[in-house]
This record gives sequence, C-alpha cells and structure tokens, in this order.
Amino acid sequence: MQSRFKRVMLIDDNEIDLKINSKLINLSKIFDEIIICHSGDEALRYLNTDYTDFTPTFILLDIQMPEMNGFEFLTHYKQLPKSVIDNCTIAMLSSTLDFGDIKKAEANPYVIKLLKKPLSTNEVLALLK
Amino acid sequence: MGSSNIRVLYIDDEENNLIAFKATFRRQYEIYTASSAAEGLKILQNINIPIIIADQKMPNMTGVEFFKSISKTYPDPMRILLTGFTDIDALADAINHGDVYRYIQKPWSDLELHNAIKNAHDAYCGKIDLRNKVTELEKTNDELNRFIYSISHELRAPLVSVIGIVNLVKLENMYNSSGEYWSLVETCSNKLDYYIQKTLQYYKNNKVVEETNEINFKSVIDELVAVHSYTDIDTNFTVDIDQKVIFKGDLFRIEVILGNLISNAIKYQKIDELNKRVTINVVVGETSVEITINDNGMGILNEHLEKIFVQFFKSKINHGSGLGLFIVKEALNKINGRISVSSDLDFGTTFTITIPNAK
Repeated sequence: MQSRFKRVMLIDDNEIDLKINSKLINLSKIFDEIIICHSGDEALRYLNTDYTDFTPTFILLDIQMPEMNGFEFLTHYKQLPKSVIDNCTIAMLSSTLDFGDIKKAEANPYVIKLLKKPLSTNEVLALLK
Repeated sequence: MGSSNIRVLYIDDEENNLIAFKATFRRQYEIYTASSAAEGLKILQNINIPIIIADQKMPNMTGVEFFKSISKTYPDPMRILLTGFTDIDALADAINHGDVYRYIQKPWSDLELHNAIKNAHDAYCGKIDLRNKVTELEKTNDELNRFIYSISHELRAPLVSVIGIVNLVKLENMYNSSGEYWSLVETCSNKLDYYIQKTLQYYKNNKVVEETNEINFKSVIDELVAVHSYTDIDTNFTVDIDQKVIFKGDLFRIEVILGNLISNAIKYQKIDELNKRVTINVVVGETSVEITINDNGMGILNEHLEKIFVQFFKSKINHGSGLGLFIVKEALNKINGRISVSSDLDFGTTFTITIPNAK
C-alpha cells in the first residue's frame, strides 16, 4: 500500500469532461484530491505559486484547448521548479486520432502516455503502478 | 476580337523588320516592338507579355543571350527565335539554355510565323492553366487535411463525452435504471464513433505518405489485442511470433490492417460458442512477413468471400460498417501487400496477409 497522498490535476477547457472525469476519479478513489483547471494558463499560475504542500502528483492534460494547447503548456511546464516537476507525472488525455498529435505526445519526455478519452480509471491505475 | 488581346513583343535591331512585322500582324495581335534587348527588357518590366520574338543577330546582346538573361526573372513567356542564317551553335544554345519554343528562319513566312505565335499562345495558356490547377489542388488538399484534423477533434470530442457519461452511469449502477435507454445510447454512440474512426483511417490511408519504421511485431500485436479485446474478455488469444530478423515497413498502415482484422475476429464470434479463440501467427522473413489470423467464429458464406473487400458490403447478420476490410485492402495496396481468406461456417475464418520487408 502506498501511503503517499495522491493529488491529481485535471487541465481541460471542456466543462463536461471535467465533470465526468472528476466524478469518475472520485468514484474510483484512485486519487485523494482533485485540482481542476480550465486552461493551461490557470494550471501554470497554480503550479507557479508556492503551494509546496499542495502540488499535484499526477496531471491529466488535454491537448486541444483555446489559447494555450497541451503541447504549449508542456513547454512552459519544463521551466517550473524542479521540486514540482520531479514529484509529478503527466499523461495527456485527448479524443484525438490524429497521428501527428499521437507521435508528438509520445516524443515528449514529460509525457508518460497519451490516454484516449473517455478516461478509463484502469488505464490511469496501470500508469500509477 | 478573339486573338486581338494576345500581346507579342518583337525585338530586332533592323527597324524595317519591326515595321514589316507590325504591318502584317497588327490586326491579329497587340504588338510591342523594341530595337534592342535593353529596350525589350524595359517593356517586359511594365507589361505582361506572353510571347517574345527575338532576332538572333543583334549588336550588344544576341537573341539567345537575351532569352538566357530573362530565364529566371521572366520564365513564363514563350520564346521564338528568328535568325537569318543557319547557326548550329546558336541553335543548340537556344534549345539548351534559352528555353526557346520555336526557331524560325528569316525572311519569315507570314503563315509560318502566324502559326508559331498561335501555337505558342496555346502552349502558354496551357502552362498557366496547369499552374492554376496545381495551386487550386494544393489548396483543396490543405483544406481536406484540416477537415480531417477537425473531424478527429471537434466532431469526436463531444461524442467521446457522451461515451464517458455512459461509463459513469454504469459505474454508478444506473445503467438499467431507465429500461434499455442507456444501452441504446451506448450502442448508437459506439456506432458513430466507429464510423468516425473508420472514415479517418480511410482518408489517412489515402493521404499519409508511406513511411518506413522498424517494426517489432510482438509489441504491435500485443498492443492491438489489448486495445480491441478491451470490451470483450471472452475471447482467448494465442499469439505466436517468429521474428528473428529486422522488419521495416509502414507502421501506421500495418496497424490499421492488423487492427481491423483483429477487431473483426473478435466481433464475428459465434454468440453461443463457449471457447471463443483467435490465433495469430507471424513469420518474419528477410523479404516479407506472413501473418495469419484465424478464428473459430461464425465464418463467411462462400458466395460472400468475393465481396467482403468491397466498400460498404455488409452481410445481413453482421453489424459492421462495410468499411473495415475495404480499408484493409486499400492499405495493403499502398504498401504492396497481399491478402487471402478462407472460411468455413463450421470452423471459422483465416486471413493470411503478406507484406514485403523494406529492410
């Protein structure tokens, strides 16, 4: 049993998907707490503030978002303090079937996997092991 | 009217020739004349001219030299060279470097020159038309690519949300709370999603340029089996892979081909079969790979075997889109692969595909 407190951050502009995914995570209890961000910008503001005790251990990042898309978020993400990055894992979560997106996600060193929507808690669980 | 707006530039240092040319052709063409290459260039800079006639023997710059000098700046106009004597060197030079369309001897015959101008103009129009068509096609191509991308996002995203909601309903044990409504919503959503995915696969197969990647069949097939058996845990898979040599091929298309065949093998099982099984054998050779996918499913009627690769062919009992095997065939065509099938209503179906090794 892992004792570490698990906090997930959901970054998605789609209100419905945020609702579905947080409900799903609550029901499956794979995380202890959920941080909801409606944009990459909001997420960066959160991560840049010194919440040492409240940083996420896992991020589910949407690709297609207005203004800052998931890949743009990742270029900002790598400039965050090491303490944040080292304790956090990112999986992208998208409905994309675009080969370019899939390749790009797989090539990014910060992304462990591109998960396809709808979110499957089993797939997330497999990544947490 | 008609040809009256065809512009012709004639460059010759002999004033008399310019006058004679004008006198002969002024009713048929819009004529510009210049008595030197430099003067001709000035006209080109100001007026869009499709046809240039130049005399070869001029002081300062010969006709061919002039054509060479404008080959980069004015590549489009058709060039006609006039010379008073047969100069083989000038001729060779004209053809090799000056991009000359016609060569006409002086004194010219009015008819010959007239025909040359007419043909040159036709060729010019053809060239411009072709270029416009290419630009148009490139634009359409671009739009199509963007359209495919937008299908894969905008159209699919809300649908995937619906599927997510249905999953949630299941998780909260409300799936059977409204009679069969939730299961109907689920069936329709899955069907729509399947169509979107197949349509995208089809377009991508047509558009994406062939690529060569190193392929590890074990990991490719394991992943595909995991993805497709996700909704069906009854089927037993036996995968046997004999890969001792490196295989190189088009990963995207091979995944499309195997994915469709594996998904079919799962989808068309006999409903009451207790021991549903799919066997996949892969033998990788130096020149090609042979893959067989065998199932003990419902089989294919003999009279249908010919038609299963045809677009939108469906049998009455199956619930497919009529796209899967068509896409398999199309993708195999792109990478020079072959497929054969044998089937029996009692024992099931075997697909055998061969794909060349691009190593």
